[in-house]
Amino acid sequence: MRRDLQEILCCPVCHGDLDLAVITEDEVEVLEGTLHCRACGIDYPIEDGIPNLLPPGEGAF
Amino acid sequence: MTAAPLHPEVYPVEEDTLLLLEAAFAEVRSDDRVLEVGTGSGHIAASLGGRAARVVALDLNPHAVQAARARGVEVLRTDLFAGVRGPFDLVLFNPPYLPTMPDERLDDWLEYALDGGTDGRRTIARFLNDLPRVLASGGRAMLLVSSLTGPGEVARLAEAAGLSGRALLERRIEGESLFVIRLERRADRDD
Repeated sequence: MRRDLQEILCCPVCHGDLDLAVITEDEVEVLEGTLHCRACGIDYPIEDGIPNLLPPGEGAF
Repeated sequence: MTAAPLHPEVYPVEEDTLLLLEAAFAEVRSDDRVLEVGTGSGHIAASLGGRAARVVALDLNPHAVQAARARGVEVLRTDLFAGVRGPFDLVLFNPPYLPTMPDERLDDWLEYALDGGTDGRRTIARFLNDLPRVLASGGRAMLLVSSLTGPGEVARLAEAAGLSGRALLERRIEGESLFVIRLERRADRDD
């Protein structure tokens, strides 16, 4: 994800702000990292450039 | 260059995809911030690249977000609008709209892309209720529905969510008609 995508994202649980922590990035975008919701205490992963904003435990059959 | 084969649990380009894309091409403006919900293969979002200020797409399906990213789409994984704040000027959605009985469900991602619940409107109702939160002032949304979904009921759900809608395009396919509904905030609800 491009860094400025963060501005239009929010925590899927409380709709609050997310803090971006970058692990790896290239010239264009963040490849690995986390989006952290301080209010909920949840880390949402960014993997292969794709933020995963599903609450923990959701999204599997 | 040959595109990689689409994952079998990702909704491919179908007649409804092309109808929504036709409507989006007619509607999109060069300064729009566009969000495509339920992007599936990413075909619509990728096709709009260069015609809008920015195009962001999302899907719940992990295989779909990978497929869309492989096409160069800026994509995230979330459930409808859960993880987005907006504001967006143009929102596009080809939803799961087929009435589906519980014993018909296969519980895989492709089935999820079709399964509208028993009345076909389960996901559409959630979409309409949360749409005003992410829509920019003056923003519009284009929603694809089928005659099987009950377009009149969809219009009533939109009205209840503070939106006004009108059908733009209609296409008859085998056993049903597809419609694209253009939605915006009712004038008395704009903020």
